[in-house]
Amino acid sequence: MKIIFLIVMLINFAQASDATIDVIKKVEALPNIAVEDATLTYDETFKLTFFKSIVADLNVLSIFNVDRHYKTGYFGDDVVVENKDVNYVLKYEMDEGDAHSLIVKVVLLKNREEVFSKTYRVGDSTVYMFVSHAIAYDLNEFMGEPSVEWMKRKVIFSRIVAPRKSEIVIADYTLSYQKVVVQGGFSVFPKWANDEQNAFYYTSLDANEPKLLHVDLRTAKVTSLLSSQGMLVCSDVSKDGTQLLLTMAKYGQPDIFVYDTKRKRYKRVTTYSGIDVNGQFLDKNKIVFISNRLGYPNVFSKKIGSPDVEQMVYYGNSNSACSVHGDYIVYKARESSNSFSKNTFNLHLISQKTDFIRRLTATGVNEFPKFSKDGDAILFIKSYKFQSSIGIIRLAYNKNYLFPLKSGKIQSMDW
Amino acid sequence: MKSLVLSSVVAAIVVFSGCSSKEAMVDKSAANQGTTKEVKSVASETVTKDNAIVTSEDNSIKVLTKSDIEAKLLSVYFAFDKYSIPVDGSVNVSTDVTTIKSDANGFGIKLEGNCDEWGSDEYNFALGLKRATSVKKALVAEGIAASRISVISYGESNPVCSDKTQDCWAKNRRVDFSLIK
Repeated sequence: MKIIFLIVMLINFAQASDATIDVIKKVEALPNIAVEDATLTYDETFKLTFFKSIVADLNVLSIFNVDRHYKTGYFGDDVVVENKDVNYVLKYEMDEGDAHSLIVKVVLLKNREEVFSKTYRVGDSTVYMFVSHAIAYDLNEFMGEPSVEWMKRKVIFSRIVAPRKSEIVIADYTLSYQKVVVQGGFSVFPKWANDEQNAFYYTSLDANEPKLLHVDLRTAKVTSLLSSQGMLVCSDVSKDGTQLLLTMAKYGQPDIFVYDTKRKRYKRVTTYSGIDVNGQFLDKNKIVFISNRLGYPNVFSKKIGSPDVEQMVYYGNSNSACSVHGDYIVYKARESSNSFSKNTFNLHLISQKTDFIRRLTATGVNEFPKFSKDGDAILFIKSYKFQSSIGIIRLAYNKNYLFPLKSGKIQSMDW
Repeated sequence: MKSLVLSSVVAAIVVFSGCSSKEAMVDKSAANQGTTKEVKSVASETVTKDNAIVTSEDNSIKVLTKSDIEAKLLSVYFAFDKYSIPVDGSVNVSTDVTTIKSDANGFGIKLEGNCDEWGSDEYNFALGLKRATSVKKALVAEGIAASRISVISYGESNPVCSDKTQDCWAKNRRVDFSLIK
């Protein structure tokens, strides 16, 4: 009896740590937090913009009930009368430093006692959002919650500006900051080359043959790695940055190859005569990819060097994009059976270790799913009722957040 | 000498004085028969400026430009999520083969595969490539040298329309032809 009880307990503990199980928390009182602006310089528009950014970031942390009302106060250990009963009050003061730099002093009061303070500085007020992200990150660390390192990471995406014309843009995770880094040609499928995010790969379609290029952001040096007739995409980069998974049409039809950046050699991984694309490293020797070998796009896995292929998803009629972190795979699934109806594409999460599927979105067209580096969050693009948004899914908190998107048509994205 | 000149003058006077007394002989018989008949004037044609021009259409050889030939090459259209050439697509391929063998004889052929907006773009790039490859195979089967043909895919990034309609999606699921020198 004791053994049976022990086995049941072990099973329950195992399931509790599986992200594919919906996290349905009992109603729990999250601590309240209010934000007070003590800024004396800068105009009202900029002050309100910064306030909105801070409130949005605090919301995404999912550890506070955030008061969205804009209030002004004095910088110090006192609060405005409306906030006297609030658990936490975040007070900040912005100031202009030398050479138009932005300085932000921050203090966190808990029950009206100072528990945290810090000063942030950036070169220009136009990059205020990075200060906001850094503040939220530090508060999350102070509260002892799981890391949100992804909040400080940059997103790289390609945007179609006209038929066969696109540009590559680097942005923050909300896409409110954007800097164009490649312009004027037909440049697609950008991919970060390393964890430091100081280099990236992309495909240029300006010549008759697609070319894979590497760009070093520190030196602006552009290096051509490969060219291939028909198609050439860098789908994934290994953790140490030495191996790339490419979709190439070297033999006239799209297959997945693994490319060694040090030896400058590639090896074919898939040989199916149809479509094999979007390879993602599960580990050093195993990949997940999209293939139409069953007559429609679906998710499969295989070991590099082995001919055996395993079907990963047994649900849906068109699962055409995926992203991987550890044992987890998020994929995009078409949920209407008719190709020409109002199509809904939702994101689903599966695990290699269990049979559960968790649906992550409910409405609209949800695409470009990308795990954060630490697997804590998923970034995606949502189109619903003529509005496009960038979305963040906090897996552990079962919450989705949306930021309005005014970036034009996104072709491809990496985080 | 003086006597020679004098005698020549005297001789000339004698000769010319003898001729002046003659009268011209006129045939009076015709005058007695009535007025002369006026004949018809010869028919003539006035050659105007307009008629004089010989049109170049009839006489010169028209040289087609690369753009002219590309405009004659018909795109091939595909069903949703498919890359096999449908029946009406085969008709276009046959027409294109004729053009390639004649007007486009000195050019290389680039086949550009395209897709509608559904599905992920990496999958759509591959789908566009398969469509272009299908057309390449059809051209080779009709006698076009494979070495003349290259293929490329633009996925969903090269639409001819952006409406959210079946008609627009169908127009985007295609392979286009372009010529390379």
